[in-house]
Amino acid sequence: MSAQPDTPANFIEVSRRFDATCEAVFDAWTDPAVAARWLFTSPTSETHATELDVRVGGAWTISDRREGVDYVATGQYLEVDRPRRLVFTFGMPQFSPLFGRVVVTCEPDGAGCLMTLRQEELPPEHHEGTIEGWRLMFEGLAVALGG
Amino acid sequence: MVPQETPRLDAVFHALADPTRRAMLRSLSDGERNVGELAAPHAMSFAAAAKHVRVLEDAGLLKRRAEGRARICALQARPLAEAERWLAFYQRFWTEQLDALEAVLKETQETP
Repeated sequence: MSAQPDTPANFIEVSRRFDATCEAVFDAWTDPAVAARWLFTSPTSETHATELDVRVGGAWTISDRREGVDYVATGQYLEVDRPRRLVFTFGMPQFSPLFGRVVVTCEPDGAGCLMTLRQEELPPEHHEGTIEGWRLMFEGLAVALGG
Repeated sequence: MVPQETPRLDAVFHALADPTRRAMLRSLSDGERNVGELAAPHAMSFAAAAKHVRVLEDAGLLKRRAEGRARICALQARPLAEAERWLAFYQRFWTEQLDALEAVLKETQETP
């Protein structure tokens, strides 16, 4: 999980191994019929709409209604490389004008798939540190956070 | 629901991305310092230290006041808490999303 010299450091990274092929995991993100069952939705959502134009430069919008409020997530695909790599921007314009970048990578792991998701917020030129560095720093300054 | 993603959060992460500035914040967490004291542990000029101080100030992480001719710096911890909340929110958000993905993949396999 070390940052490579030319890539921006990560803000958030989560990895999960699934008992499924990389193709199945990748398609779970890009097949609207599958994505609608888990992506940007919840078990108690009232309605849900998933529009995915899965190609480089294509737009995606997922609208999810919870307790009468529509939550809209949207973005654009930057890289579509089935089944290994999917990169898209992600934002929720209701809450913030800022968009992040999400990188999903799938690596075969035995009969399954190790999927890693990275969410990056800042453009690369603003970013030198590592998430581990920040976490250590947050722990070190825990005393000061009482302010 | 979603933590505030403001341009200031950008400034906070930019401020935190530099190891010298992180060290300055650690030092300030022990108490106020003047700019010379912040510069001292690093082989850097006063001017270079002042640049770092300005970045921290722009991020809302540091406040300066004048005491005679000295400029005293104090840590402002609130933006750190906001950044930490942002990180924690998205960590939890994606973990829950992946839980849901895992459940869907299991269902898909059980109904061929």
